[in-house]
Amino acid sequence: MKESICLWTKAGVNGWLFVLVLSVAVFAQRPVVTPPGSAAGPGPSSPVVVKLVDEVAFKKLIVPNGKPLLINFWATWCDPCREEFPDLVKLDTEYRGKIDFITVSLDDPEDIAVAVPKFLAAMKAQMPAYLLKTADESAVISSVSKDWQGGMPFTVLFNEKGETKYFRQGKVVLETLRVELNKLTPPAIP
Amino acid sequence: MRQKIAILFSIFALLAFVLVPTVSEAGDFAVGTTLENFSLPDTDGKARSFNDLKGKNGAVIVFLSAQCPVVKAYNERISQIAADYAAKGIAFIGINSNSTESLDWVKSNAAENYKFPVLIDKGNVFADKLGATVTPEVYYIDAKNVLRYHGAIDNDRSAKAITENYLRAAFDASLSGKAIEKTRANAFGCSIKRVAE
Repeated sequence: MKESICLWTKAGVNGWLFVLVLSVAVFAQRPVVTPPGSAAGPGPSSPVVVKLVDEVAFKKLIVPNGKPLLINFWATWCDPCREEFPDLVKLDTEYRGKIDFITVSLDDPEDIAVAVPKFLAAMKAQMPAYLLKTADESAVISSVSKDWQGGMPFTVLFNEKGETKYFRQGKVVLETLRVELNKLTPPAIP
Repeated sequence: MRQKIAILFSIFALLAFVLVPTVSEAGDFAVGTTLENFSLPDTDGKARSFNDLKGKNGAVIVFLSAQCPVVKAYNERISQIAADYAAKGIAFIGINSNSTESLDWVKSNAAENYKFPVLIDKGNVFADKLGATVTPEVYYIDAKNVLRYHGAIDNDRSAKAITENYLRAAFDASLSGKAIEKTRANAFGCSIKRVAE
């Protein structure tokens, strides 16, 4: 009896050790999710950071901060959004430092844990990424553009004064967007 | 003098004609505008006219998609609202304007999800006329064919925390002869896949 208890205890300890090791491994694989207002964007080797924003934080987010601001609204459930993402990543590389470029996911807030960061990581996206949680989608849509009815994807370019210089509901036309970006980002004088 | 008056009158008449909102002007079918009767084929190819399909208290035109996840999330709610208001004389008319969805697909999806007709808007001509860009997107037209409400069905596509039932509120106000409080609301959805895209 004593031996059987001892065996059971050993098996139990081994089992718990296995669960512990597995938990550590799973935890290490999890994408990082930060609450609204926390700092830092992802670096090339950092895990993908998706910040949850409410309407109040979102209002501040769509105000340019001295540079042209490009915003892409997307969702993992939106096929054209996913299809155009490689082009957006390309644009981010081309214009990094010249403009601010952010992406705003309209996925369900619970997707901030896995689905959204997983997709962004697969795309190697380095733009600051946000997920919007709002009870008033209509007000949010109107605050971005009077010409947007809520269809996705939606991409909008503001100049540094906050004036709309380009918007597109549906997949972006890369060349058209580049022309508008080039107007706002004159080449540096050698 | 008479000639001058006639010219001025003609200019005013022309301006009035240009400025009066009509649905035939592409893009912006605003609340308060009258919808001209239209006819589109259903999923069996039979031409159906709006005036024949509408109920005694009007109709809802709802832009749908067979593949859009947001529409899928709303299907149950759309069917429930359609059932609740059919008895009150408001009919539902589905429109599919997506160039990427085949007739067979739209037909089987309609049969599976809706008890009301779904009309095929080939070349998204009707969507262009109304300025519809999203699915789902609703237009509530009253018995006199006047647009009373346009936009989202409610304020939560997940249905987990609906606090505003825009479409039901518009129906209830209209049926009780009151002014509709919110005549326009947007919501996130899928873009209508147009032929030119």
